[in-house]
Amino acid sequence: MIMLSIIFIVAGLFFLIVAAVGVIRLPDVFSRSHAVSLTDSLGASLMLVGLALHEGLSINTLKILVVLALLYILNPVIAHATIRAALRAGVKPWEKETP
Amino acid sequence: MVIKFRKVSLGFLFLKTMALFVFWVLLSASFEWVHLVLGVICSLAVAWLNSGHSPFVPKLRVWLRFLFYLPWLFYKIFQSSFHLTKLILHPALPIDPKLFSVKSKLNHHAAVVLFGNSITLTPGTITAEVDRNNLIIHALDKALSEDIESKEMESKIAYIFKDETPDL
Repeated sequence: MIMLSIIFIVAGLFFLIVAAVGVIRLPDVFSRSHAVSLTDSLGASLMLVGLALHEGLSINTLKILVVLALLYILNPVIAHATIRAALRAGVKPWEKETP
Repeated sequence: MVIKFRKVSLGFLFLKTMALFVFWVLLSASFEWVHLVLGVICSLAVAWLNSGHSPFVPKLRVWLRFLFYLPWLFYKIFQSSFHLTKLILHPALPIDPKLFSVKSKLNHHAAVVLFGNSITLTPGTITAEVDRNNLIIHALDKALSEDIESKEMESKIAYIFKDETPDL
């Protein structure tokens, strides 16, 4: 069980690092927010599943599952709000220049 | 000063209070009398303060179809996460971001909310603006935007809400 939870946590860490690299490499607000959404869809949720496995059956596991459910409900809202604000403020999306 | 009492459906207030109370017990994790009574009072107050809306209460069959939709959504999330990881770690950064609008055939506001939320939850695509059933979507890559335009997700959501009365 401990082994399985370590595998989950390491996989989550990998996706968190990829998301951080993406935030640095991608060109503008719109594409960077995609990299951030990678964090919550796989990075944080894999880590939380790993922690829940590590904890076993207890009240803390239930709390972690509640956090997981809230993460999946709240994160799209935040990402949508950020992108809509950027769009309404008139930020031009970066586009690949056509040769 | 005239105090107006809003009409509150008691059954709905009760359901909301129960849901909040379960959440309270889950977080406090103690079964002492003081905590339980305080929890009932707090959840009743919050439910009462929020009873002004007339929310959409899904029927049981909608919940069931939604539960069968979730595994497909998670599969989709995994698939596009790996695609996005490949894009980010690729040395040449082969991205082709695009802002496009989609007119969906969904005619229920909860269905449009579910559609927009599913799009945003899938990495690589984000709903930027919603106006009735027109959605403006930003996608990072051609494969991801074609995924939305193939209407696969939309038809699955339309199936969940096919028996509800349209309100949009």
